[in-house]
Amino acid sequence: MKLKLLIALGVVLGAGLATSCRANRAAEKPDPLARAYDSEPDWNDSQHVIPLNYQQAQGKRVFYQYCVWCHADSTPAGPSNRSNLNPNPPLANDGATLNVLSDDFMRNVITMGGAAAGKSASMPPWGKTLSQDDIEAVIAFYRAIAQPPYQAPARPGPKYSVR
Amino acid sequence: MPAEEMGKVTKRLRLIFAVSCVVLLIVLAISPIRDYLSDWRRYERDYVRFAESRPDTKRLLADFRPEIEQIWIPQMQVVDRCTTCHQGITRPSLLDASVPQPFRAHPPIPHRVRDWGCVVCHRGQGLATEVRDAHETTLAWEQPILPVRYIQASCGTCHRAELPQTPRLDRGRELLATLNCVGCHHMQGIERPVMLGPSLTNVGTKVSRAWLYKWLKEPRVITASDGTILVIGYENEDEPRMPKFRLSEKELQALSGYLSTLASEPLPPYKFDPRTVAAWEKRPDLIDQGETRFRQMFCTTCHSLAVTRAGETKLIGGDIGPELTKVGSKVNPDWLAAWLRDPQAYLPHAEMPRYQWSDQDLYVVTRYIESRLTDPSLLSDVPKLQAPTPEEVQLGQRLFAEKGCSSCHAIKGLAPQTDFGPDLTSLGSKTVSQLEFGNSRILRTPVAYIEAKITDPVSVNVAARMPQYSLSPGDLDALTTALLSMTGKSTTAGLEGLILPTRQAQFRPAGAFGELFERYKCYVCHRFNGYGGTLAPDLTNEGSRAQKKWIAEFLKNPQTLRPTLTFRMPQFNMTDEEVSVLADYLSMVMQTPTVNLASVDSKRFTPQMAGLGKELYEVKYQCQSCHTIGSAGGYVGPNLTNVGNWINAAWIEEWLKNPQSLAPDAIEPRRDFTDEERSALTAYLMTLKQSAPAPAGGTPGRGK
Repeated sequence: MKLKLLIALGVVLGAGLATSCRANRAAEKPDPLARAYDSEPDWNDSQHVIPLNYQQAQGKRVFYQYCVWCHADSTPAGPSNRSNLNPNPPLANDGATLNVLSDDFMRNVITMGGAAAGKSASMPPWGKTLSQDDIEAVIAFYRAIAQPPYQAPARPGPKYSVR
Repeated sequence: MPAEEMGKVTKRLRLIFAVSCVVLLIVLAISPIRDYLSDWRRYERDYVRFAESRPDTKRLLADFRPEIEQIWIPQMQVVDRCTTCHQGITRPSLLDASVPQPFRAHPPIPHRVRDWGCVVCHRGQGLATEVRDAHETTLAWEQPILPVRYIQASCGTCHRAELPQTPRLDRGRELLATLNCVGCHHMQGIERPVMLGPSLTNVGTKVSRAWLYKWLKEPRVITASDGTILVIGYENEDEPRMPKFRLSEKELQALSGYLSTLASEPLPPYKFDPRTVAAWEKRPDLIDQGETRFRQMFCTTCHSLAVTRAGETKLIGGDIGPELTKVGSKVNPDWLAAWLRDPQAYLPHAEMPRYQWSDQDLYVVTRYIESRLTDPSLLSDVPKLQAPTPEEVQLGQRLFAEKGCSSCHAIKGLAPQTDFGPDLTSLGSKTVSQLEFGNSRILRTPVAYIEAKITDPVSVNVAARMPQYSLSPGDLDALTTALLSMTGKSTTAGLEGLILPTRQAQFRPAGAFGELFERYKCYVCHRFNGYGGTLAPDLTNEGSRAQKKWIAEFLKNPQTLRPTLTFRMPQFNMTDEEVSVLADYLSMVMQTPTVNLASVDSKRFTPQMAGLGKELYEVKYQCQSCHTIGSAGGYVGPNLTNVGNWINAAWIEEWLKNPQSLAPDAIEPRRDFTDEERSALTAYLMTLKQSAPAPAGGTPGRGK
């Protein structure tokens, strides 16, 4: 009899402990930016902040040194060179234009310049100035800030699922 | 004993024996079962199942072994078992976001994860083999995982020099220096500057007691006439840096009283020529003339003014000197004229140049500052203050030491305090039990402690002496990151060699140039051989780049045509002799061996070459996308309208070979010109000359 009581007590205590632990977990609100290396506000909506991982953050740095002058409407120095150029270069976050371009195409345009890829010669080649990693990072940054958001080309999804 | 009973006892004994055997078996089984059910074994089994569901199973399981994996870095005292569960961390094929954790690969970073493990950057407990122990703070394991937001702090534990990959850490370290944290706290790797806050030895001659009262009560706030706060705090790198001390009414009266009596070595007041005063005093355009001169001299390159446009107030101008919107209501007019003539006489470490003022300019500019840069209601909320009583002065003097004022402000004859606050050398590696949370309601983690302390010191400790800083959210993150990077020496014991010193090379020219260099404070904005400011172009190679005649003309009349530049070199009103000393020194000494000025002979450039160059410039390479000639072209590079009078031909050829070899942060991409194309482009550019007034300015190869 006593044993049964003890077991019952144990079960109740254990359950209580378990639920309280779970309640504790639920109380912590996950902040997506706390898990981001860096962030960039959405250019179309400053309230919306996009988290960036390490590679995208490096792309952001390269972008703001070399690319921003022609691929954004406002630059760290103020005026943008974009409206000066004909044709107008696409904005870095212009998902409608850039999402359809493959990573390979982006890589080629950046490395060898617009003329080599059948685009405007106003886009100079960056292959000798930027490292391969820099270029990959810039592409990753463009993909991260694209509006509408960029969807990576479909790959066979994993059959495995988490418990 | 009857046999029947004997049988009963034996039966009971057997039963007891059997039960205890079962119990023993169960007890013996507990350990292997617990081991079988342990977190890490579960994840390893899951990983095998997961790998079998992927097309590249073989590769994923190539070096998989069902045991605890460990990365050991003895020099750093790091034992890291994270890869036991995070099996896919280095598999490129598992980088995709659809891969479930803990198997996802780490995004590419410069360090190899297999060599360095995880805890060097992410902190947490590398030894733990249970999920919660590894990631969170528990009673036994006190170092939680660092939120990725602050992860750059870990880069800073080894890398002392500025890294382009860690903007948040770099900004935080810059803030530690500019906010004068070293005034009170000892910190590793940050040296105490010669001057933190301004010296207050003669502050009584500069400002009134009422202004001091207001400043001590509510520093760094610009309010509109109706009392709404327009600019508060240290935003956008604008001045001032003085934090808010929570002073009582009595303390405010005493401190302002004490400071207003400080005038041991007053500047002699400057007497304007009575003829200048007589000629200008009554002129209706006196103040407007002053404003024009103020603008022409480009004071706003270093000083900002609050400007209201379309209902929004912003500080416009530089941040090297203090913000001046209401300075006319702050400083004493006699002091102002004396200061403008010779700033170093009042403050030996002042960064302001000593201008060549004409009496007339000085008069109109001081009158402009006194009458336009004012706010009649600035001191309206200050109570009536009489001359301070001896008791107030005495109390003020005591408070000056007690509140830590002398950690940043020097007063001649008063010993400066150092290390007024706690040593922060190893703040970043402190565990929860080493930090004093008191009765505060702050989350018990080291990160939360630092965040709370710099956001509102009183929230951690009601009696905190630390003043209140007012920082933007981005700067709070940066500062937290920089503080978390200070983990003392222990974690990087074996890696001292990697730590780079932050000291800057000194450049102290002597002679006539050295005197002018000090007088005009060239190094506050320009950089010379790695020493100096970053606002203006690096002049280390100026002699190789610019023609001497151009340098001389520019010094007399500094201009820029680069439209993206908002700051311009101030007009110093230099004499011809000074100009020739500076131009001689710059063109003879500040040269780079990479550019051989004699190697390119401009005489061999033919009109045909220039014609080909023009075509290359306009059609093949479309240089006009970034550079302006005349009125057409882009804003990114410098204006080339007068480049033939400005840049040396040898510099242009070398620049076209590889811009970054001459200016590492140049934006211009390096291209594959043939030798012929390079000569043709140079020939064309050297034909671009504009007759006086020489308008070309800016410099090639600067990002900003």
